[in-house]
Amino acid sequence: MTNIVLKPKANKYIVAFVSVCLLIVGMVIHIAFGSSSISFIDVLKALFASDDSKQTTIIQTLRLPRAVLAALIGASLAVAGALMQAITRNSLASPQVFGVNAGASLAIVMALILFPELNSQTTVYIAFLGAALGGITVYLFASGGKTTHVKLALAGMAVHLFLSSLTQGVIVLNEQATDVLYWLVGSINGKDWTHVKILFPWFVLGLFFAFSMSRSISILVLGENMATGLGEKVKWIRFFAGVIVVMLAGASVAVAGPIGFVGLIVPHIARKLVGGDYQRILPFSALLGAILLVYADVLSRFIAYPFESPVGIVTALIGAPFFLYLAKKGRNIKQ
Amino acid sequence: MTKRKHPYGILSAFLVLLLIVAIISLGVGAIYISPLDILSNISGTSQNNTFILYNYRIPRMIIAIVIGASLAVAGAILQGILKNPLASPDVIGVTKGAGLFAVFVLIVFPTASILVLPIAAFIGAAVIAIILMIFSYAQGAKPHTLALVGVALGAICQAGIQYFMIKFPDNVNTTLLWLTGSLWGRGWSEIWILVPSIILIPFIVIFASKLDILNLGDEIAVGLGERTKFVRYVLLSIAVILTGLSVAVVGAIGFIGLIAPHVGRRLVGSRSKFLLPVSGTVGALFLLIADTLGRGIVPPVEIPAGIVTAVIGAPYFLYLLRREQKK
Repeated sequence: MTNIVLKPKANKYIVAFVSVCLLIVGMVIHIAFGSSSISFIDVLKALFASDDSKQTTIIQTLRLPRAVLAALIGASLAVAGALMQAITRNSLASPQVFGVNAGASLAIVMALILFPELNSQTTVYIAFLGAALGGITVYLFASGGKTTHVKLALAGMAVHLFLSSLTQGVIVLNEQATDVLYWLVGSINGKDWTHVKILFPWFVLGLFFAFSMSRSISILVLGENMATGLGEKVKWIRFFAGVIVVMLAGASVAVAGPIGFVGLIVPHIARKLVGGDYQRILPFSALLGAILLVYADVLSRFIAYPFESPVGIVTALIGAPFFLYLAKKGRNIKQ
Repeated sequence: MTKRKHPYGILSAFLVLLLIVAIISLGVGAIYISPLDILSNISGTSQNNTFILYNYRIPRMIIAIVIGASLAVAGAILQGILKNPLASPDVIGVTKGAGLFAVFVLIVFPTASILVLPIAAFIGAAVIAIILMIFSYAQGAKPHTLALVGVALGAICQAGIQYFMIKFPDNVNTTLLWLTGSLWGRGWSEIWILVPSIILIPFIVIFASKLDILNLGDEIAVGLGERTKFVRYVLLSIAVILTGLSVAVVGAIGFIGLIAPHVGRRLVGSRSKFLLPVSGTVGALFLLIADTLGRGIVPPVEIPAGIVTAVIGAPYFLYLLRREQKK
């Protein structure tokens, strides 16, 4: 449970240093592997080169933006997940379980089919709307009285099934399946700088606000009464955290589709590593989320080599067993 | 265990309702046929729509009724064995497991005979059910764990399904339609697949009292001379067979197994003797209405029945969850 303040198990500077190294190595590997392999030294050279050789072009216009996007989306989803777990005080909360991803997906699929000439800037706002609707629905239904892990997971599951069968219905009836389908699994394949540009402002805004309210969130996690006693405006913290979640998760879904389980797993790993203080959990979640998605995206290329698989499949395969582990652990602490 | 009045009355009322809806549903579709016309066609006094009725609408109606009943009974059994009112084939991942294996067959062996699909779907359902049992027994069979394990297994199967769809995009439309759950184009040949279900449903209704004994708790059940483990496995296998066959024929139609037993319980209480037949009837009615609506809202376009059941079922499920919470 999030309300137990864990003692950090490792020195935060060491963790930070190792994480940053892992992220950099991951991104270099990410850039180096692909349909044509490039040696690591060439990757490093090409990153800073300004010539227009084939290799430099491939790296600077295709591979680098994809690696950057993987990192940004991983960080966004992980921070969104951490915030959700804090405001609901439920360790299974995450954009996916909460129907935020499914809501955004439905909104985008509807928009793509109803207004095909829509540009990708506008889809972000539509995704926000869908994300907010999905999230609010689950929250309303799971929040009355005591919200146990299971209630939340089941309510989320029901809303998820509901929204995704609507999405499927829209696709089935319009027969434009394949393109949207690939997107629906969550994929960063074939994305370029324009996508990075769409996501980046929301990423910066979301992370900035999240970090600046991290102290209040730590207090909120202690319990509502305690937080009120310490002079925090609980309702407003919840509201703002919710807005940040919608911003980060919605923008990620708009760009890359609903990539699952990142927001669920990463905050737990961060909590294990650096303790229960959200001033540390949030930045480390961002870092670890970026690492997770960068490596997952590398793996996604090998699943059906030489074809690319959507990274959402990889995160589901890593995430679902982790979910099992959490379900088991959650039972031992408190229902 | 609550008792309600007139369970037989409620059961017969629902059966009559089912009959009426069945006759109306035969008329709905791209070509509308009035109920009177249907009756005269069936009795043989008129021939004008006999072809449509016998080759398309009647088999489809039978399939809707059998599968609706199968899923509802499977849900009621699972909720009984797992002592969890939220269990159902789709929530605990059994439907997804059947779906994964069936998609595998559909995509990798598109030329395989029609008999392979139900077997594959059944194996998929069984594999997930076995994993669930192993997990839940290892952890003391807490009903709550089971729901979560099911959600996770469902997510893994979902990832697998998506993998196949993306790796083999040629068959994606068929697969997708099938995954949403639709009765479109199902005919007499599919009814043969459902024969085991048609035999099993009356069978399970007769042995429903065993489920009640299990519900008293293992110790009492053993004390009453029941081989609890054996009975539980038999019941579970029946639920898996019913689910597997249903998924094989119409795809992953959700929410029936979850909702119908709840409606049944509100109507006649939790005694399985009444709960199972009433749930089955409610399930049959639910799927029949969903299919008829899907066919009738914007003809000739068909909305897959699975979407209609989700649209009706999900809000009701959330309402149930909300009500449980307020208690």
